[in-house]
Amino acid sequence: MMLGLSTLKNKRKYSLLVLLSVYTYFLWLMIRITLQYFPAHDDVAFLSIKQDYVGMWHYKLAFFIHVFSAIFVLLAGYTQFSESLRKKNPKMHRRLGWFYVIVTLFFAGPSGLIIGIYANGGTSSQIAFCLLAFLWMLFTLMAVIQAMRRQMSSHRAWMIRSFALALSAITLRAWKYILVALFHPKPMDVYQIVAWLGWTLNLVVAEIIIIKKIRS
Amino acid sequence: MKVKFLCIIALSAILFACNTPVTESEKNGSEQSRKSESEDSTHVPLATEKKVELKREGIFMFYVGAFEAKKMDTKKNPMLENKINIALDSISGDVIYGHSVVAGNIRPFQGTFNLKDGMYTVVAKEPGDNKYDGVFTFTLSPDNGTLNGVWTSNDKKLAVSERSYDLKKTEFKYDPSLELDGTYSEVYNSYNAKTEQHEQITDDAGKLNASQVELTSKDVENMYRRDLEIMRNAIYARHGYSFKNREMRYFFDTQVAWYIPVSTDVTAELTDLEKKNIELIKRYEKHAESYYDVYGR
Repeated sequence: MMLGLSTLKNKRKYSLLVLLSVYTYFLWLMIRITLQYFPAHDDVAFLSIKQDYVGMWHYKLAFFIHVFSAIFVLLAGYTQFSESLRKKNPKMHRRLGWFYVIVTLFFAGPSGLIIGIYANGGTSSQIAFCLLAFLWMLFTLMAVIQAMRRQMSSHRAWMIRSFALALSAITLRAWKYILVALFHPKPMDVYQIVAWLGWTLNLVVAEIIIIKKIRS
Repeated sequence: MKVKFLCIIALSAILFACNTPVTESEKNGSEQSRKSESEDSTHVPLATEKKVELKREGIFMFYVGAFEAKKMDTKKNPMLENKINIALDSISGDVIYGHSVVAGNIRPFQGTFNLKDGMYTVVAKEPGDNKYDGVFTFTLSPDNGTLNGVWTSNDKKLAVSERSYDLKKTEFKYDPSLELDGTYSEVYNSYNAKTEQHEQITDDAGKLNASQVELTSKDVENMYRRDLEIMRNAIYARHGYSFKNREMRYFFDTQVAWYIPVSTDVTAELTDLEKKNIELIKRYEKHAESYYDVYGR
């Protein structure tokens, strides 16, 4: 009996370790992508095909705010969803939580909305990215409000949704990689697809997680 | 305990990433075509009064057609067919001067000829200071506008040591309205054993004429890198650029009927519109090359 319990514990530990390793790997890829633009280059990588817009100061400003702030929200993945961490050190949970909220609501979110207006791939992907930014800010705001009202299970649900959208940075690029490897589509065709696929599926998964959590 | 552990993971991830320089995968495979390859174009006999004489006789012309491999070493990856342009430049006494343009090389030749019943029989040698030099032996019929014969290399160990040709008299004139007819064709040497397929050039490559239309990012953003490369190189092809790059050469030599190789450097001939379009297309080519199939946008 004791043995069975400890192996179950080990199994959990093991799968958590795998999950964190995978997450760390993707975070590392994201940091590499971010560092391409540092120190502020406007003719590299993604910006090299946004030359029609880099001349506009508000686009450029929004782009760099987005790139250099959004990377930090991903750090929340390490700390904010751990129950033991939250119980042991609620103060830290709150502090890091506020950091996530401020970065999202005042930096990464609004800047995402602005660059979303100029998104590649036409109206469809422009709507996708603007909606993504809007919902991300909305869900984050809902989560803060619920936390302040001490509605903890609701807070948790909204934060799961918010972070699911934050993760679209990773999943969007993963879908692009997979679709290109499998079907070799034209560059803007794949872009239009992942603009939607990159975050809507995340929300579906988030709802599944929320339902499961509420049940247990 | 757990807290520490998580923090260490996070921290090491950041440190690791910071220590890794961001390497932009810049395989400059398609950087050809703008550079002049003057090292290969030894002095070409220029126009003289003799040229006028030839022109009067109706000989001074480009003779263009396929330059087909006859004797080759298949292990050395020979190019089976190139487009060749044999230009006859002047005659002095019983010596004929000319040059050939093929595969990104301009080589002068000179030789002797016999004239019989309006047919010239010519044996002409290239200088011999280039690895790929050899001897042209051909019959020229100015009246029919044909030139045919063989070429043998001095070095018999080359991938191709003998080629034959059956050329037609052709006039070259830069014409920006020349179009690619958008036929699907395979990219040379791109056979993928895994998928059992060749990389294809799609209709997009010829949809817009980059010598005539001012392109916008909307025009090129949804194009494959290979199509962009063809679209850009079509500009050079209209000016008669002789391609060194095998893939481009294969495409223009074998798939584009109007294409005539006349020069190894056309930079000075490009119009402002063309220069602008080249810059735009290159930007998207480079982006596609570095980012199309990698993790990112």
